[in-house]
Amino acid sequence: MSEPIIKVRGLHKYFGPLHVIKGVDLDVMPQEVVVIIGPSGAGKSTFLRCLNFLEEPSAGTVEIDGVEIKARESGREHRRLIQEIRQKAGMVFQQFNLFPHMTVLGNIIEAPITVKKMPRDQAIAKAEELLEWVGLLHKRDEYPSRLSGGQQQRVAIARALAMDPKIMLFDEPTSALDPELIGEVVEVMERLANEGMTMVVVTHEIHFARDVADRVIFMDEGVWAEMAPPEQIFTNPKEERTRQFLAHIL
Amino acid sequence: MSTLRSSTLHPGSRAMRLLCLLVALTAGLSLLYAVQYYLGSPLRLAVTSEIHDLALSPTHHLVAAAAQDGMVRLWDMDADWKMYTLTGHTGPVTSVAFDASGPTLFSAGSDGKVYLWDIPTILPAGPSNAQPVKALEASTSPLRDLSLTPDGSLLATLGDDHIIRVWDVETGEVIQTIGPNEHTRHAVALSPDGTLVAADDANHIQMWDAHSGEPRQRLEGQWENEEEQENWLGHEKEVTALAFSPDGAYLASGSAEGTTLIWDVEQGQLAWETKGHLGAVSEVAFDASGEYLISSGGDNMVRRWKVTGGKFAGLFKGHLGSVSGVAAGPDENTILSSGVDGSVRLWEVVNNQELHLEWTKLGLMPIWGKVFVIWMLGSGLLGLLLAWGLWRVRTWSYLGSLAMYTIGPLFAVVLPMLETIAYPITWSTRLHIAWPLACLFVWYYFLVLYLRNDAIAIPYQAPDAESLAQRLMAAQQTRNIRQGLFVLATWFLIFILLFSVLRRFGLDIAFMRKWLPFIMGGAGLTMFVSAMAILLATVLALVGALGRLAKNPVINGISGFYVSLIRGTPLLVQIFIWFLALPQIGITLKPVTAGILALGVNYGAYMTEIFRAGIQAIGIGQYEAAHALGMSSSQTFRRIVLPQAFRIVIPPIGNEFIAMMKDSALVSMITVQELTFRAQKLGRQNFRNLETFLIAAAFYWILTIVFQFFQSKLEAYMARGERR
Ligand SMILES: Nc1ncnc2c1ncn2[C@@H]1O[C@H](COP(=O)(O)OP(=O)(O)OP(=O)(O)O)[C@@H](O)[C@H]1O
Ligand SMILES: [Mg+2]
Repeated sequence: MSEPIIKVRGLHKYFGPLHVIKGVDLDVMPQEVVVIIGPSGAGKSTFLRCLNFLEEPSAGTVEIDGVEIKARESGREHRRLIQEIRQKAGMVFQQFNLFPHMTVLGNIIEAPITVKKMPRDQAIAKAEELLEWVGLLHKRDEYPSRLSGGQQQRVAIARALAMDPKIMLFDEPTSALDPELIGEVVEVMERLANEGMTMVVVTHEIHFARDVADRVIFMDEGVWAEMAPPEQIFTNPKEERTRQFLAHIL
Repeated sequence: MSTLRSSTLHPGSRAMRLLCLLVALTAGLSLLYAVQYYLGSPLRLAVTSEIHDLALSPTHHLVAAAAQDGMVRLWDMDADWKMYTLTGHTGPVTSVAFDASGPTLFSAGSDGKVYLWDIPTILPAGPSNAQPVKALEASTSPLRDLSLTPDGSLLATLGDDHIIRVWDVETGEVIQTIGPNEHTRHAVALSPDGTLVAADDANHIQMWDAHSGEPRQRLEGQWENEEEQENWLGHEKEVTALAFSPDGAYLASGSAEGTTLIWDVEQGQLAWETKGHLGAVSEVAFDASGEYLISSGGDNMVRRWKVTGGKFAGLFKGHLGSVSGVAAGPDENTILSSGVDGSVRLWEVVNNQELHLEWTKLGLMPIWGKVFVIWMLGSGLLGLLLAWGLWRVRTWSYLGSLAMYTIGPLFAVVLPMLETIAYPITWSTRLHIAWPLACLFVWYYFLVLYLRNDAIAIPYQAPDAESLAQRLMAAQQTRNIRQGLFVLATWFLIFILLFSVLRRFGLDIAFMRKWLPFIMGGAGLTMFVSAMAILLATVLALVGALGRLAKNPVINGISGFYVSLIRGTPLLVQIFIWFLALPQIGITLKPVTAGILALGVNYGAYMTEIFRAGIQAIGIGQYEAAHALGMSSSQTFRRIVLPQAFRIVIPPIGNEFIAMMKDSALVSMITVQELTFRAQKLGRQNFRNLETFLIAAAFYWILTIVFQFFQSKLEAYMARGERR
């Protein structure tokens, strides 16, 4: 039995007086796929962003691949650890957030070159490999604004993968897409899961959760309302809240 | 509609056939005019005949003028300026002179001949029946200049073959031939006693013994300071005019750079120097007493100088073109001048007033005759082509005709017509000169009106249209082009009107042409100051914007203070502070440095706000994406935020740059010798503020237009990632 690659302990997050995350723990094993679902405003995004410190947690600890950070610390060492965690955790956003002034290739090689100091030709070779993998090598020199939403999101996934992350965080990666474009992104995510990537995914794609997830968490009002394997949570949820929510979206 | 297809072969409607006919007719008649003009037939626009030289008879009542049309004009001042025309030369007459006895009038022409006219037989014979009594001819090469001893015994001529010939008038024989020297091109002069002949040799003057042809003095000039080679006393450009003083002691020379020099003949040395003409000096002459020198120039001015000392003694302004000849007038208080505007003028020297004006012919300035015939030829040939195109129902021919008949007449017809307003003639004379132009203008006007007609326009817009959509699109396109054309024509018309009005009030084109290079010499500094200042401003703005966005209260406070202080005080005051106030606390800056600092710091403050807005316009998602990839804050800013912010601020920064270029004129206040400074200095010195500031304004305007063009190109380039 190996060690969890993500360890969260007693995580709290306040936005001013608003208590959004109310003390959650989570262990994620290597190669595990965890899907978080829940009603709007439950704190799913906030939780995910606390994992790579895009939001500074108010209390608790986060440990990713052996790098442990306590909340509410500061200083040079703290910042260095955050940088380290961010390199270990790739993130994909709902709004893609590609860099509009760079080509597809430029978007992907940017971080390896500036952060990892990877030689440019090596970065390009890797980027092309990744583009091939997401099926967009032919769009290599296109600007993001010329791509469809699904293509942009696939580039965003390739961009995150270019940093060789240990885990991948997805925050509703398909919510901004037209229905007919969702499939191509989900398909890439499935392949990623099959290749053994550890993933924490916030999504309302029940098919993905059912087919790919190892565990599904139902989050409500800042806590884990229910955590179970997908077959159990979708067919036989224990909690009334979960039942209601699923009835709503299915 | 049903004949849409067949109309591609020939014009369908009667209106279109009429149009073809009208255009063809216009073109044909224009061509006819041009052909007969070049064949030398008499039908032509009324233009004056340029005068190349002028002479006053020893009896002081006859004025002779050498005219371009090959006729010598002779006016009898005693008989109310009655005019005689002496015909004989087969080309333009270039030079005239009287001898004291007789009197006899000598005229030299481009036909290589010198004619001698006996005045006592001409005057009774009536205005136009004069015959030369004698002709001298040595070669067929055109004659440039002629000089006569006062007694009429010796004659010297200079031809385009660069040969000086000295003639014994009595026998009609050439007694001496000097040259050829290819640097002798403009002027020859005989000393009053007939011993010396002088001629130009590039920027020097060579004198010979008139009888033996032996070289004598050579007048070259010298450095005032021999060692340093400073301050050349002499001519810099070629000598264009020569004249001996009545006693033969001095020789006056005029040159292409506009200076006139007075030389002591005996010593072979420069005696006095006069500077004033803005164009080449065309002729110099002494008055009868030898006390005053008169000179005429390519700057349309006549100037008078005191010989002793070379002091300025009067300016005579009125000629509409270069002044080609001057002579002392019938008494010591008058002078005579002639110009390429075809006029002879008598001036009063005490209050510089024009006493009398005569024209060789009443008409437009000769240049307009040439412009007009070129237009006739060009529009005739093009018009025939267009008429053919119109017959074949081609869109290009429709637009071509519209363009040609809208824009062309503005320059070939309207401009000369308005020009006549600047001429000192009566309205009835104006009408007399310009009526053919007016008629033509009305004709063109109706042609354009007819072309605008929908019945004409629509069939030409899309002759091969298969569908309504095509036809509608073509119609829209044609309307746009037509609209642009009329807008352009309106611009031209405004320019022409402005130009004519300014000329009416004496806009000095020669002055503008002469000093354009000097004023433009400041353009480099203007651009340099603007470029350096914008560079400084950009750096300051970037730092300032970062400061304004910083959380650190000290940094934030400093940049807020900077922006507030600079935006709250006038730029002019800031310029003075940099240049005039700082020395008081021990910091002395060069004017250019102070100017660049003042402009850069000032615009830096305004641009700080632009940069700040640009940076703030970048969404939080971009920061998050970069941070999630592990990029540090500074990497995110440099690689992600700044490039996008730059793209956003380019249009406003471009505007700032254009504004700064214009505001750079303010640094002229602190003696930076840029464009505006030069314009101001020159204008004040010469009382030509209109001319100098017109040049300056035109420069800024053109530069602004050019920059706006490049700015739009740059914006298009920077926006290449934006298109959806
Ligand atoms: N930066 C912020 N400042 C203040 N409040 C915030 C901030 N970000 C999120 N919140 C609040 O925190 C709560 C949780 O937001 P969060 O975005 O995590 O919800 P979510 O579960 O992702 O919902 P959704 O499904 O709508 O994305 C919400 O009430 C939201 O208004
Ligand atoms: Mg969310």
